Amino acid sequence: MEADELLTLVADGDQKAFEELYAVVSGPVYGLVRRVLRDPAQSEEVAQEVLLELWRSAARFDPRRGSALSWVLTLAHRRAVDRVRSARAAGERERREARRARPPAFDQVLEEVEAGLERERVRRCLDRLTALQRQSLTLAYYDGYTYREVAERLSVPLGTVKTRMRDGLNRLRDCLGGEA
Amino acid sequence: MSPPGRLPRRGRLHSLAAPYALDALEPVERVRFERHLDGCDRCSAEVRNLAEDTVRLSRSTAEPAPAALRDRVLAAVRTTPQDPAPDPGRALRLPPHVWGGQPPARPRACRPRPLLVPYATATAAAALVVAALFAVQADRTRDELDTARDRAREIAHVLAAPDVRAAGGRDDRGRGIGVIASASTGRAVVTLSGYGDPAGGRVHQLWLMRPGAQPRSLGLLDGDTPLPASGLDRTATSLAVTVEPEGGSPRPTSRPVVQLALESVGFGE
Repeated sequence: MEADELLTLVADGDQKAFEELYAVVSGPVYGLVRRVLRDPAQSEEVAQEVLLELWRSAARFDPRRGSALSWVLTLAHRRAVDRVRSARAAGERERREARRARPPAFDQVLEEVEAGLERERVRRCLDRLTALQRQSLTLAYYDGYTYREVAERLSVPLGTVKTRMRDGLNRLRDCLGGEA
Repeated sequence: MSPPGRLPRRGRLHSLAAPYALDALEPVERVRFERHLDGCDRCSAEVRNLAEDTVRLSRSTAEPAPAALRDRVLAAVRTTPQDPAPDPGRALRLPPHVWGGQPPARPRACRPRPLLVPYATATAAAALVVAALFAVQADRTRDELDTARDRAREIAHVLAAPDVRAAGGRDDRGRGIGVIASASTGRAVVTLSGYGDPAGGRVHQLWLMRPGAQPRSLGLLDGDTPLPASGLDRTATSLAVTVEPEGGSPRPTSRPVVQLALESVGFGE
């Protein structure tokens, strides 16, 4: 069964459907959270919150507004980013020092991307973006930086980051195709 | 409701659609942008598309979740009640991920939480709201109390957040201000007591005070009726009440008659 259908059943309190839904979404959810947070223990904790929130809030899912997987991953991303920013705020001063000491490794995340068909496709499409588009997207999405922080890190104006993000997403859509 | 002077320019707000879809806005901007989305169908559609695009980036990150996670989640599901479906009229106008749009959890939320705590706390919060309401309304008639009770129920529902907390103060003349707030959802209920109505048709206006930013209006207070407020950002340091001309002002025009720090309810990062 597709995630959309399962989520609708889960909204009616169907625990069996939730187990199936878990099988479909837990990998994408955990992987995304892990990409943003890096730390395995924290990732597991946030993933658990997200998956449990799916159970609790399944009734809020509205299939007319997008696919279930998008909905789930959007939630997971939001929670992961919120957590990484809280953690980051705590160690901000240290990092500012470290940043002064050496330039940030912008494309680090791309290098860390492992082999695999989907990974390879996303990577190929990211490679086709301009460096600024790619860095704007990956620093925000995979590393959880705000667009202000991205602008600061890349030493470009705020407006530039906003347009690069939009252009980058559009080009990514063309490259990865219509299917979500 | 933003006072007229503080409505952000449409073009500038609109350019935030991509950063918003990437979760790359600061909490304050996020709240402001979501308020803008609420009344802009075209923007909601655009954000929806951009959100679908950002999800494509997650195609490269999937990895098997630890087996222990499955056990824990499925066990929790067996004992966790589900939330009711939201009011459909409102849900329809919102973009796909606004419902998960609370500001970031505070660092202290990092420690693992027992799964059922939010519910226990929500009940406690409800009790708090009701107590706060009746404390200032003891001299009311039965009918008025019933109305207040209905309102309390409504507010308790709004405030059913895991981190809801209360604070208040009273001066030597017995006048006071109380707040019940949840930093994670950015919601609060504020009650003023003993200040009466200002003379000459003027009103009490409630402001959110933030460092390095203009005070933001949270609305007009009607006597000691509790005022619900939402969209409170975490940098907020205090609430202030000023006396303003009828209908309120875009900016405070007088010194506050009372001010209450928000630190003890989880704000002021």
